[in-house]
Formats: sequence, structure tokens, C-alpha cells
Amino acid sequence: MFRRKALDDQTPAALLFAGPALLGLTLFIAVPFLLAVVLAFTNLRLGSPLPLEFVGLKQFARIFSDPGFRRALFNNMMFAVVVVPLQTGIALGLALLLNHGLRGTVVFRTLFFMPVVFPMSLVAVIWILIYAPGASGMMNAFLEMITWGAWQPRDFLRDPWLALPALMLLSVWQGAGFQMVILLAGLQSVPEELYQAAALDGAGRWPQFLHVTLPQLRNPLIFVVLVTTILAFRLFDQVQLMTRGGPQDATTVVMFETVQAAFTRQQVARACAMAVVFFIIVLFITWLQRRLLRQQSEVA
Amino acid sequence: MRVASTAAQHHGLARAAGYAVLIASVLLFIVPVLLMIIGSLKPDDRVLMEAGTVKALWPDSVSLRNYADVFRRADFARFLFNSLFITGSIVIAGLLVNSLAGYAFARLRWRGRTLLFNLLLAVMIVPFEAIAVPLFYQVSILGLRDTYIAQILPFIANAFSIFLFYSFFIGLPRELEESARVDGAGVLRTFFFIIVPNARPVFATVAILSFLTWWGSYLWPLMVTIGPRVRPLPVAIATFYTLPPLQWGDILAFGAMMVMPVLVVFVAFQRWFVRGVAASAIKG
Amino acid sequence: MAAVTFHHAEKVYPDGSRVISDFNLQVTDGELLVLVGPSGCGKSTVLRMVAGLEEVSSGEILIDGQVVNDWPPQRRDIAMVFQNYALYPHMSVRRNLEFPLTMRRLAAAEIRQRVERAAAMLNLTALLDCKPRVLSGGQRQRVAMGRAIVRDASVFLMDEPLSNLDASLRVQIRTDIAALQQRLGITTLYVTHDQVEAMTLGHRVAVMRAGVLQQVAAPRELYENPANVFVAGFIGSPGMNVVRGRLDTDDRGLVLLLGAARVPLGAGIRTRHPGLEGWCGRSMLIGMRPEALSLTEAGAGLMPATVRSAESLGHETIVYVDAALETVATDMAATARGTGDGAGPPLAAVLPGHRPFKREEVLNLSVDPDGLYCFTPEGERI
Repeated sequence: MFRRKALDDQTPAALLFAGPALLGLTLFIAVPFLLAVVLAFTNLRLGSPLPLEFVGLKQFARIFSDPGFRRALFNNMMFAVVVVPLQTGIALGLALLLNHGLRGTVVFRTLFFMPVVFPMSLVAVIWILIYAPGASGMMNAFLEMITWGAWQPRDFLRDPWLALPALMLLSVWQGAGFQMVILLAGLQSVPEELYQAAALDGAGRWPQFLHVTLPQLRNPLIFVVLVTTILAFRLFDQVQLMTRGGPQDATTVVMFETVQAAFTRQQVARACAMAVVFFIIVLFITWLQRRLLRQQSEVA
Repeated sequence: MRVASTAAQHHGLARAAGYAVLIASVLLFIVPVLLMIIGSLKPDDRVLMEAGTVKALWPDSVSLRNYADVFRRADFARFLFNSLFITGSIVIAGLLVNSLAGYAFARLRWRGRTLLFNLLLAVMIVPFEAIAVPLFYQVSILGLRDTYIAQILPFIANAFSIFLFYSFFIGLPRELEESARVDGAGVLRTFFFIIVPNARPVFATVAILSFLTWWGSYLWPLMVTIGPRVRPLPVAIATFYTLPPLQWGDILAFGAMMVMPVLVVFVAFQRWFVRGVAASAIKG
Repeated sequence: MAAVTFHHAEKVYPDGSRVISDFNLQVTDGELLVLVGPSGCGKSTVLRMVAGLEEVSSGEILIDGQVVNDWPPQRRDIAMVFQNYALYPHMSVRRNLEFPLTMRRLAAAEIRQRVERAAAMLNLTALLDCKPRVLSGGQRQRVAMGRAIVRDASVFLMDEPLSNLDASLRVQIRTDIAALQQRLGITTLYVTHDQVEAMTLGHRVAVMRAGVLQQVAAPRELYENPANVFVAGFIGSPGMNVVRGRLDTDDRGLVLLLGAARVPLGAGIRTRHPGLEGWCGRSMLIGMRPEALSLTEAGAGLMPATVRSAESLGHETIVYVDAALETVATDMAATARGTGDGAGPPLAAVLPGHRPFKREEVLNLSVDPDGLYCFTPEGERI
């Protein structure tokens, strides 16, 4: 009944079209990914005299008992816990202000978005200057000014308590514009009629925000929150450039530990185990996002 | 009348407060940028010295010496070329390869399409960091360390770009292609003559997103480059920063020149940037 | 020039749903055949199978005597006008017209000449350098027609080409299309859901319902001799009323029992339905043209009726009434004027002139026996 017909089968053309991309994705994502999973269960260490063998979950047991790696996981989580709400809050506030139809919205939007196009390595270098120790450092001077002189100059990037917050701040600066643009697009797609209907129903500004704006912003908010959470776990450039994980592991993160294991200590298997743990975390966050978004569509 | 006027007054106040908050936030936001631009125009020793004063944002002696110094102390032109060449190659080759794949998934009928598309969605989740280490060994074994190839080839095919193209093509009216087929165009000609000219927004979005990603990419070139030969700007500025003596004016000049091409493109096409970023959110 | 023949053509989707069943039809050379039916009846699928945009699941489609089932669209020498026109947005009108010719690698001079000729024919010459987005709906429609004409294809396919236009433009372009087709003499298969369009445009009209061809006939034949109650209800505006009735005889000869009314049947209906006597004493479906109903004080076939709603068009008034008759939905009537209470659809009557009616007003209707049609209880014509 359903014999294939030349008319309907475009397999040759499709292979021509999709072939190069599929080949690339296989060679440079699928293969290394599988390699990481396989190697994570071995004892591979470059230059090691031991024979290569499968060691089961030993590498995972090792990394989870390694205080450095545990600190890294903790730091990533702290980073997410602080940066995600802070950055989202700032971005939402800016988006709401810009959505009021004030003159010059485009100029403001451009300026807020500008840090997004800055490469992170450049951002890190600029902020090293901002965090310069001593009273003449910009951040120190600024804090002294707003505290009426109560602030004592600190060396932010070498202070075990301030190093991580310092990294958080510049990450918020670099990323808030990205979120703001997404939320602003979300705000602008809320139909004006909804506000008019709510106003006719007697809702004031705040009830309108709670019952019209926020529900309509649900999907963009879920998106930015989870993308930022994933970014918090991918954190690497700032750490490598500004603190090298220090002082005393105060700013070490999973990617930094992975790179250290792979390149400083040649522990390939261990680095792969870390990469697998990292992937599982990202997978979990992504799964969470899909679930939340699906709930939404079921409601709708 | 009185009610109306108080309402208007209230509105005016809210408006003024809105502006005040906006302007204050903008000032805070652009301080680091101003610090970079103005610092790059100052004598080296005064950058750090004046960083804690308002003079940090006020150039009283402007000179382009630092810019000249960058070219003297480092092979900036080479790094710029490397970055442009690597990023440009990824973007251009990526547009071709990923748009073709997106079209195949969106419109062509072929065996294995559904299965491969689901795999594609799965691949989209894998962050680069999770495969960086094994990919590095893969590249090393192939003898590709410290080459352009190692920095370009792995990133041409991109699952997210394919997905963006796919979503756009799915939304195009099918009749356009059917009409072209009835008019006598084959699949290739339909794609290049009918689809591509009508898909400019998605090409712009993908180009911008991948340009931003790879222009600032640091981890991978840090891993695969050895010497300055194929080193791109993000790694180069990190090296330049550690190059003694520490001269902040030069470093900031390096940074300003590094971000300038992106800023120019950004200001010229900012509508597209914004649309592109927003599109990535809605599609993602 | 070519004939298009369907030979037991069927379309079954991979999920097993059969959208076209045993489709047999011949469109003769130079004919304008209109395929009409309610939305979702499969008429567009038929057209797309001819174009090669849909695969034929079984059976054959022939163009000019050749089985084209496995031919890709570009090989079939057909031109198609799409409902939304599918003009290439990035090309000027001229480039749009040229495109099919460039694809066929015609010489530049030839392309130029053909484009100019088509443009002149459709009054598009002044618009040749415009982009489609600046054109009005009617202009776009003409460009779409032009793109089909330049091809000199052997078959034209038109998929609801007028449905995106407003009513007055539709009438005008309908006339233009008829004239153009007449002039070019190209075999044309035209799909529409609008029975007025079908009746005014088609040399012959093919009525479809749920993937099955119901009747193919010239417009007048279709109106006068509908093959079943579906066609009867679909053609005409409003379409034929269908009610249950019984045939009986009394001293006047054959009589139709319609509710409480007894309508003696004249010679007209007896010639239309030669085998009618055989149905004596049996119940059947009776088609009643809305034009055959009229207001009366007393007389043959008198039936009281309550006004449900009325639409005055000025020169005539369509009144929908409830009568003591069991009406039957013919598919179209039910959707056009849903009752909501599970009862049959109302009876439609077309009365001359403007008449104000009040809701619930009680009328006396009589029926002209010559406007009656008899169908089997299954809806087939007797």
C-alpha cells in the first residue's frame, strides 16, 4: 500500500543539506561527549606508568571527597543563588522602567546592553583595575564615599570573604543587559488590551503588575533564570583571569577544577568525571526548565 | 478638572522619578566602559593613581601614545587578524552549514528525520565546557594544537543555530516553496533563490549570536593555542596583561581596540542584536 | 493543452485516514472545471495531487494521456495559482513573472516578450517594478495569475484564488478569469468552497463531500437535477430544504404527505422522477426549493409556520421558519444555521420584495409542487 515513491522521498537532497552539519556535530560533540563518559570510568592519567583500566565509580568517589571540588560545587551554587535573583531583579526593574515609553528608551537600552558585547576576558581585566587594592582603587574609593569614610580599603580579589562577591558583581554587570532585553521584549508583547481590561475591572498599578505583567512574563522569566543558572555553573573565564580559584579555594569553580585536573595534573579521567558531573547538573536544570514551561502550556 | 490636573502632576512626578533612576543606573553601568576609554588615553602611571578620583572619568591630558605602545609591545595586528579570521570563518561557514541542515529538518522528507531531530535537541543541551577536555585530546591526537583549524572546524556545526533556522523555516508559508517547485525549481534552487532571500532575519540573528559567542571565547583558545601565532584577542589580552612592566594605559588601549569592532557592529545593527537575543529566548 | 484524468485516485495519510476515496473524473481539453465542496472535503488535496505536491496513494492521475503519479511538479507542465498567491516577496513583479521562465532556461528575449505580453494582458505593465508588498489584494491576485500565464502551461490549477479578496472585487475578477480562460483555452481545474463562484464560473462543476465525488455536471444540470440531498442542499443560496414525507395516492392521483399538508403532484415532477409510482405508500426525503415556497391565505399544500428569523436583501426576503415538518440537515444547512436545540434545521423560504417579519409571527406557506424533488431515505435521487 505504502510503497515509497520517488516523488515523496527527498533523502538524497536531505543528506546533502544536513550531512555536513550532522558530521560536524557527531565528530565534535557526540564523540568527545561519549569519550568523556567512557574515560570518567578509567584511571587514565597522561604520563602515568599504570596500565589503563576501568575503575568503575572510583573517580567520582575521589572528586566528591576532594575538598577543592566540593568547595567548587559550593561556590558555583553560591554564585547561582546570589547572581540569579540579583541579576534578574535588576534586569526586570530596568525593563519595567524602559517599558514606560519614556523618551530615549533606545539609547538607554543600548547603554544597558553594551556590556553584553564585551568579551569576558576584557571585562575581567577592566574590573581588576576597578578592584585595585588601596585607598586609590576605584571600588574602594567609591565605597568610602558612600559610607562617609567608614569603609576601610580592602584587596577584594585576595580577600577570602570578598573575592567571590567581587566576581559576582562584575558578572551581574556583564549579564544584566542580556536579561533586560529579553524581559523587555516579553513586556512589549503583552497586549495593551489586557491592561485596559484590568484597569476597567478596577485594578491599580500594583495589582496590574501582579495579575497581568508577571503571568505574561512567566516564560521569559523562566528562560532567563535558567540560562543564568546554567551560566553560573559554566563560570570559568573570570576565575582563571582574576583569582585562579584563590584565595584558599574561595573562588574555585567546577570548570576551573576540571581544567586544573586536565592540564596542571594531567588527570584526564578525573577531569572527565568532573565534566560528567557538570553535565548532569546542566541536564537537571534544563529538565527543570522544560518541565516548568510544559506546565505553563498545559495551563494555557 | 482638579482631579485631572493632580493625576497629570502625579504622572509627571513618576516620569521624573523614572528618569532619575534610569540615568543613575546608566551612569553606574557605563563607569567601567568610561574607565577603559578614558584610561586608555592617559599616561600609564596616572591610570591607577587617579582611579579613585573623579579624574578617572575625566581626561585632562589626551594622547594616543598607549595605542602606539600596544602595537610596539605586542603583535596586536596579528591577534586582531586571528580573531577576525577565526570568528569570521565560524560565522560564515556556520550560516551555510546550519541553515542547510535547518531546512532539511524543517521541510525535506527523509528517512531518519524525526530521530535525528530529537538527537539534535539532546545535543543542544550539552554545554561546550562538558566536552572541552576530551575534545582537546581529540584535537591533540590529530596534531591540530595551535592551528586555526582546531579553533574553527569544531564550531561550524552548531545545534542551536540549526534549531533557530529550523524554527524560522517552519514558519515560512509552505506555498512559497510549492510555488517554486511548480515553477520548475529543484530543491537546491528553491533554497537559494526563494528561501534564503526571505530568511534574512534569522541569518542576522544566527550571525550575531555566533559572532558574539566566538569573538569573546576564551577557554578553548587558552587550551589549544601555544604561541602567539594563532592566538586570538581574548587570550592575547590576558597575556598582555601579565606582560611586565604593568602599564594600565596600554592594557586599556588594548581592550578598547579589542572591543571596538564589536561595538561598531553593535551600534550599527543594534536592532538586530536585540531582536536576535530576544529570538533566542523565545525559541529556546 | 491537455486533458486531466483521475482513475480511481485515492489519498490515504500515513495515519490511515482516507481523505480521497475512489476519485474518477475527466477534465477535458480546454475545459474550466470547478471543484466545489465544504471546507475539509478534500478538494484542495485533489488539486495538489495533480500538481505533484501530494503523493497519490493509489490509482492514477493522467495528464495528456501520461500517468504522472511519480513525476515531480516541475516535470508536469502545470501552472498553479495559490490561495495566498505565494508571490516571492523579495522579487519585483517582473522577477516574479520571469522566475518560472528562468527556471526553464528560456532565452532572455523570449522571457522578456512573454512577460510583457502577460503583463499587458493583465494590466500589470505599470506595476512591473513594484515589490508584492506594496500591491493591493487585487493586484497581487493578478500577478499570481500572470505568473501562471507566462508559463504557457498545459494545465492551470487554481486553489481558491479569490477567497482573499473582498466581495465586489471577487465578482469582477471572477468575470476576468472566465474571460481569460475562454481566450487562452487552457484546461483549468478550479477549487472553491463558494457555490456561487462554482456555478458562475464552471463549464462543469464537480461537487465533493468528505473525499467522495458526489456529482459532476454543468451548473444548470446540477441545479435542476441534484444527484442527492447533499448536492441539493449545497447548491443554491439558500440551498434546498430537505424534509421527510410520504407518497400516497388519492382521487387526484399521486399526493405527497408533508406533515399535515397533502400536496397533489403535477406532471412536472412526474417527468423528473419517472419511477415515482413505485414509492407509493413509502416514506422518502423531499427536497423543497426555497423559491418554491410562498405566502398564502389558503390553498393547496397549506402549512402554518412560525418565523424564526428573516434576512431582507431588498429585492427579496429570506425567511427561516419552523413548520410542522421533520426537516433533515444536508450537512450544509445544519452548519449554516445551527438550531442548538437538537431539532432539525429551519425551513428557508425566499419571498419576493422586502417584507418585514416579526419573530414568532405565524405565516401560512404553500408550496409549488414543481419545485419539489424526491430522494430515497438514504438521500439518493429517485
